[in-house]
Amino acid sequence: MIVQTALLIGVVIFSVLAIVLKDLLKSAIALAVASLLLGIIFFRMNAPYAGVFEISVVAGLITVLFVLTIALTKTDEEVRESRLVNWVFPLVFIAFIVIDALVMKGLLGKVPALASGAESGTFGEVLWRSRTYDLVGQIAVILAGVFSVLALFRKREKND
Amino acid sequence: MIILFVVLPLVVAGILPLVGKVSRRVLPDVLANATLLVLLAYAAIAGRALIAGGPVVQQLAWLGESVDIRLALDGLSLFMLLAVALVGFAASLFSIDYMEHYGAKANYYALYLVMIAGMNGLILARDLFSVYIFLEVAAIASYALVAFGLAHDELEAAFKYLMLSVVASAFLVGGIAVIFGMTGGLDFAAVGGALRELNAGPVMAVASAFFLLGFGLKAALVPFHAWLPDAHPSAPAPISAVLSGLLIKVSGVYALARIFLNVFGLTPALSTALMGLGVLSMVVAAFLALGQKDMKRMLAYSSISQVGYVVLGIGIGTPLGIAGGLFHLFNHALAKGLLFLSSGSVQQATGTRDLDEMGGLGRRMPLTAATNLVGALSIAGVPPLNGFWSKLLIIVALVQAGHPVYAVIAVLVSVLTLWYYLLIQRKAFFGQLNEKWAAVKEAPFWMTAATVLLAVLCVGIGILFSSTITTWIQPAADVLADGIHAVTGSWGF
Repeated sequence: MIVQTALLIGVVIFSVLAIVLKDLLKSAIALAVASLLLGIIFFRMNAPYAGVFEISVVAGLITVLFVLTIALTKTDEEVRESRLVNWVFPLVFIAFIVIDALVMKGLLGKVPALASGAESGTFGEVLWRSRTYDLVGQIAVILAGVFSVLALFRKREKND
Repeated sequence: MIILFVVLPLVVAGILPLVGKVSRRVLPDVLANATLLVLLAYAAIAGRALIAGGPVVQQLAWLGESVDIRLALDGLSLFMLLAVALVGFAASLFSIDYMEHYGAKANYYALYLVMIAGMNGLILARDLFSVYIFLEVAAIASYALVAFGLAHDELEAAFKYLMLSVVASAFLVGGIAVIFGMTGGLDFAAVGGALRELNAGPVMAVASAFFLLGFGLKAALVPFHAWLPDAHPSAPAPISAVLSGLLIKVSGVYALARIFLNVFGLTPALSTALMGLGVLSMVVAAFLALGQKDMKRMLAYSSISQVGYVVLGIGIGTPLGIAGGLFHLFNHALAKGLLFLSSGSVQQATGTRDLDEMGGLGRRMPLTAATNLVGALSIAGVPPLNGFWSKLLIIVALVQAGHPVYAVIAVLVSVLTLWYYLLIQRKAFFGQLNEKWAAVKEAPFWMTAATVLLAVLCVGIGILFSSTITTWIQPAADVLADGIHAVTGSWGF
């Protein structure tokens, strides 16, 4: 329980850091740490597939993409941020924590516990047999992503 | 093979960029339009025969082995598929000439077809998580399409749209997680059945609030509407037509109605919330539309206001109210599609969207002016056009259900709507021809063909409204009015 709580607090702290840190590189790494901790929580809660994906894709692959992108951008341009952000985020965050603390404990007691145990079936079975329609959707998401990149980074033919 | 509605546009989208290397214009035009025409014919002609014996629930087999692609086609989903195919076809017809100067046409059609596939996939889904996935498919394609012109304001609008849309997605995933936690299932029928046995008021309230926020953002109901007046006007005209005509209704209103009415069951509290949001959107957006100088921005605010009517109608929960809401959804899809396409014709001819700069364009573009007038009068609810009948149904349903105040508001907002549409008509098309536009010509053939097609439909459905209601609207409304039973009973669980 203590380990679990520590992990959860770690997720929250690193997520907040990812938002408030001004240096993009540090922010990307904070996000990676947060998702690494989340992956460990998944493992501890008997969801190894979710854990593997969280750590390999979100903590690994996406962080690499972020770092690469940051390395390719120029650093000398100062981006002006609205002052509003500085106090709106903490305010919303604190309000969220307060509401969460007040509401969630009561709610969780009312949620019936699902049958626990390791994830049923092999990974292939889950993906191909029981969530196949989502796979079609995933293919469509990838197509949409690829076409978006092609469209947004195309050479402007006549506009320029 | 109802999966064709999802797979056909996806496959064509996949090969389009390759085809674009061979033929930059003609082949992509033909392929995209032919695809949508096939879908339209399938929905309009074969669809009703398919569901003649009740809803079709299909489990697909792949190479002799059954896989878990289970789709459901009933009156409501068929009706939505028809709306998507119809407006989608008109907008892609319009794109033939309009997208000429943007370049990268094959790529444009590919994104466009992915967006259509996403909407169709959402409509056929019978599982909460599939709804979310296909909602994202359509949304991701639409972000890129809004930014397709690559100018500064287009990119900014797309970014704002992306950010608010992500918030909506987060709420939806949250809601789905809560439901999954409670019932252990995602399938509509399983969730509907489990929720009926489970007595979990407060948790349901949280899940409902999450869904209301998420779908409210997607449908751009006031007060979640901030992204729409930026995103819709910035997109190329055919995309504005599809976003306003279809996307906010499929990923907002359809998903909301399907989940709240068929899976959760409409409680009095939910009904009040939906009607309240509907009336608020109707009134606030109508006043905001009045103050606009940008033609497309005015149309965008009008979309929010008209979606308010749809949600108000469905929120009443009576069979007549639901039928009125769905009929208005269809009519608004046609008319708003038409208006955005006409505004595209005007923008392409004059290079501006500012109403104050226009004037007298009716002399130079008589067909565009006429079709625009049909669309405007239809949305404003002038008899005998289609929009009149759907608004009438909603107002009658409101009176019958004992909400006379809402009925009066609906009538007054309708007057307001007529006012700002006549403002567009007067400033853009009537009056003295501004000298600047002496050389303006009527829009090219395919653009005019698309607007004329939609205008003819607006008039035709207005005249043949009773047969439209019996053949298309009533079967769809019956599904929603049937409540939870529609999915737990007839979808077979």
